[in-house]
Amino acid sequence: MLISVFVVATCGLIYELVAGTLASYLLGDSVTQFSTIIGTYLFAMGIGSYLSRFLKNNLLSWFITIELMVGMVGGFSAGVLFILFEQVIYFRVILYSLVILTGTLVGLELPLLMRILKDRIEFSDLVSRIFTFDYIGALFASLLFPLILIPYLGLLRTSFFFGFLNVSVAWVVAHRFQHDIKGYKKLKWSAVVCLALLGTGFALSEKLTALSETLTYPDKIVYAKSSPYQRIVLTRGTNDWRLFLNGNLQFSSLDEYRYHEALIHPGLGRLDHPENVLVLGGGDGMAVREILKYPSIKKITLVDLDNAVTDLFRSNASLRNLNQQSLLSPKIQVINQDAFVWIRDQQETFDFITVDFPDPSNYSLGKLYTTTFYRELYRILSPAGCLVIQSTSPFVARKSFWIVDATLKKSGFLTQAYHCYVPSFGEWGFVLGFKQKLDVPYHFPAGLKFISESTVQPLYSFPPDMTVTESAYNTLNNQVLVNTFEKEWADYTR
Amino acid sequence: MITRRNFVTRMAQGMAASLAWPALQSCKAPFHPVAHLSGPNFKLGHRLRAMNFKAPTAEEQTDVVIIGGGVAGLSAARYLKKSTSTFVLLELGEETGGNAMGGSNSISAYPWGAHYLPLPNDHDAELITFLREANAITGYENNLPVYNEYFLCFDPKERLFINQYWQDGLVPHEGVPEKDRGEIESFLALMHDFKTKKGSDGREAFTIPVEESSQDPELLKWDAITMEEFLRQHHFSSPYLLWYVAYCCADDFGSSLNDTSAWAGIHYFASRKGKSANAASDAVLTWPEGNFWLVKQLRQNLEPNIRTGALAYDVIENAGGVEILYFDDKSQTSRKIKARAVIMATPQFVSQRLLKADRGFDYKTFQYAPWMVANITTTAGLVERKGEPLSWDNVFYGSQSLGYVNALNQRVGMSSPEKVITYYQPLLGADPVTLRTRAYKTTAEEWTTAILNDLTKPHPEIEETIKDVNIWIWGHGMIKPVPNFIWGDHRSRAANPVDNRIFFAHSDLSGISIFEEAFYQGHKAARAVLNIV
Ligand SMILES: Cc1cc2nc3c(=O)[nH]c(=O)nc-3n(C[C@H](O)[C@H](O)[C@H](O)COP(=O)(O)OP(=O)(O)OC[C@H]3O[C@@H](n4cnc5c(N)ncnc54)[C@H](O)[C@@H]3O)c2cc1C
Repeated sequence: MLISVFVVATCGLIYELVAGTLASYLLGDSVTQFSTIIGTYLFAMGIGSYLSRFLKNNLLSWFITIELMVGMVGGFSAGVLFILFEQVIYFRVILYSLVILTGTLVGLELPLLMRILKDRIEFSDLVSRIFTFDYIGALFASLLFPLILIPYLGLLRTSFFFGFLNVSVAWVVAHRFQHDIKGYKKLKWSAVVCLALLGTGFALSEKLTALSETLTYPDKIVYAKSSPYQRIVLTRGTNDWRLFLNGNLQFSSLDEYRYHEALIHPGLGRLDHPENVLVLGGGDGMAVREILKYPSIKKITLVDLDNAVTDLFRSNASLRNLNQQSLLSPKIQVINQDAFVWIRDQQETFDFITVDFPDPSNYSLGKLYTTTFYRELYRILSPAGCLVIQSTSPFVARKSFWIVDATLKKSGFLTQAYHCYVPSFGEWGFVLGFKQKLDVPYHFPAGLKFISESTVQPLYSFPPDMTVTESAYNTLNNQVLVNTFEKEWADYTR
Repeated sequence: MITRRNFVTRMAQGMAASLAWPALQSCKAPFHPVAHLSGPNFKLGHRLRAMNFKAPTAEEQTDVVIIGGGVAGLSAARYLKKSTSTFVLLELGEETGGNAMGGSNSISAYPWGAHYLPLPNDHDAELITFLREANAITGYENNLPVYNEYFLCFDPKERLFINQYWQDGLVPHEGVPEKDRGEIESFLALMHDFKTKKGSDGREAFTIPVEESSQDPELLKWDAITMEEFLRQHHFSSPYLLWYVAYCCADDFGSSLNDTSAWAGIHYFASRKGKSANAASDAVLTWPEGNFWLVKQLRQNLEPNIRTGALAYDVIENAGGVEILYFDDKSQTSRKIKARAVIMATPQFVSQRLLKADRGFDYKTFQYAPWMVANITTTAGLVERKGEPLSWDNVFYGSQSLGYVNALNQRVGMSSPEKVITYYQPLLGADPVTLRTRAYKTTAEEWTTAILNDLTKPHPEIEETIKDVNIWIWGHGMIKPVPNFIWGDHRSRAANPVDNRIFFAHSDLSGISIFEEAFYQGHKAARAVLNIV
């Protein structure tokens, strides 16, 4: 019986931790979430302790029933919360109801146990032993949770696993005291059913996690939509907005200016009266916002595959604030088409071309980083023009970065690589391509927050851990970049 | 720190899979396989058996008539066109192309037969000239041809489904025991030796055109035995290796280990030495519609000379030259053309019916492998297994089929779920006549069941995702290089012109059915004809 105290105590604390972690995952702001969850949970335990006085006879079978209920409610709580998060507006109501329910049931456990054991063990001994085991269980749980359970089992499986333990306690107790319990058979079979359900839940956890993407985002999701091309998710934290495409962070409103200023100004800032600009990718309008800072610009053509993105950033008021209405500018023409398909029969020439595609993480995207594509760009770039390619992280994917540089060179460009630090991404890299050498007197627009004459110079120099490594280049018939990129990021995130 | 491409890719994949499922289910509609039987014009072609044509009602005169608008016929026409325009090409199909025919639907163009061309050898000058004309070669760098990057097969190129996994490349390695891998390696090393070898006559041991290969008896001796025997003599016994070599024979010749000449088998591995400034030597050129693209380039200036729906049924020698009788499908009339020479760019089993002359060889030595090709359209996409993603060529280890080719591989845009895949199956395991008869009797539904059975191995959900299946039977798909055929007397005699006015040009005269040989046969015949007209 005392072993069960230990198990029960561990389980109890785990549910509390699971709920707290989940709440801070899903709702953000972990300090608030944790303390309100813990407070509510403890209070609910109090309710449970109070309610225990109303349970009079058949204490053993009550105890077993409650164990079963705790196991089921606690075990399934994480799964239920996961699934409901996206569907339900009153998510908090459900969250706190579950916490109260679990807390109440857990609160019933110890008083009941004490009453069951009071005739078997002397009172002072009982109290001392029960609380000892209770606190050891609590210590055990709080160490186990962050060190072993979360890293190895994950939130969902942890919760199912402890539900399983709770129900096992019920089963063991029922088995041990079968002669003292009325309706023993029924209880035992219920336990078996509960075990089976929890086991299935455990086994399906991976699927469940996949179903619910919320776990993957640190902040609250305010917009989620699957277009034919990608999953678009917008989150809002305490102090920033973030856009994710297929789970990959595109920007955080906190520091995106660093990224977009670095993308645009080192190239565009050195052109003499640029007029016609092409933006490939970048449907969020942030690059366009930077480009519009040059008064000589007459026309911007933005080609982005996905009209779901361009529409979102044209229509949503908060997002329009971020890009300063750039997509509504009369100078802009938005074309929703595949960039490679579009460019093949493009005859117009451009003074500046921005290429801001997702990283080359698959063969489809890899095509947009090949000599063939870059030669098409060469064809439509004006003689004194320049282009810039977002080229992944030269720190994480060093070889990949230099493959982009080599590919541009192979396609006929003179190149200049640079990098900058964007806190939410890390070290990020870009490559400029020219047809002829461009001297540098920059003409930066006023009011930039990151790029200036003095800050731009250091960006062109690479510390030894990011210098050029690779001279292979990427072609349609030999996509070395995709494999290299996959490997480098896998090594990094492992 | 959160990285841009962060840790969630795995989850995103899981999500994509779970999103795909409902989509697949809702797309489950009954599909209707459609069957096409035989080549370009089955009904018309079969009138050659009955030979019940009325007497010609019109007559005309020209210098040269080319019968057959496959690659060989078109190549002859292309070559003639450089010096003369007074010639006519007769093709029984509604369109020229023959075994390199292609089709298309709302999703993509696709091949019905030939679908790729390996980089040609650098001494194959006429072919290289043609590729330059077609802008498939865009220029030269360091004396090496630069191939058009849109036509070089895009990555990922080939994958093999083996041990429940899609491995990269077609040579089995995933889960293959060390010993077998060693055997495969030594086989490939042996083939590499043949590739670099020269015969005692100083010529390359194996090359394309076949005709230019070394005549060293030490090399030609391999034509007397089967590839199976060759492997046995060299103590190769690994089932993985045997499967792979069998796959290669089926791929290039539509034949099995036990009826392919070892010389031909080695030729597959040892004859391709194309070099290029911008691709590896094993690269291939391919297009959504397969070699039909090359056909369209070949016939570019030939429209005025081509007559389609025109079935030649008689070739008669007369004092001044030859008379060709043909049946015009559109007007349903027979016509006569008087010419100074004719190029018969038809397979020998057809030429046999058109010609009375004794050509001094046995037509029966020309055997043709039947093929079944299916174009399969899916709007919901393929559900993938572990390993390499969808590639250009997708093969299943252990299968009798050659797997399938992705028609959209050369598309530059983002991939979409809609797909057209071309499934290839040479019909093996009995004599060609039996197989051909059986193939024609098999219904479209039966073919479909067999195809889906095979496709379920790597794609268990395939049935739910398919929109339609189109089947095409090539009764005489490819000439079979059985032992003693390529270097035997019959083939060489068949190539001889008759009385210096009837010339022959078809890939079967090379003993190997590939674009390069058909192309070569065509311009070779055209050259000979130009000497006399
Ligand atoms: C399924 C399949 C896949 C293949 N894949 C490849 C490949 O990937 N790469 C490759 O290089 N090769 C491939 N081949 C080989 C292909 O056959 C050759 O490359 C080439 O296309 C053969 O051309 P040809 O002109 O010699 O013969 P054919 O294509 O047979 O041309 C003969 C032409 O003559 C016409 N004809 C016949 N009788 C008459 C008549 N009485 N009157 C008028 N016209 C007539 C026919 O309609 C036909 O158009 C494949 C073949 C098949 C069947």
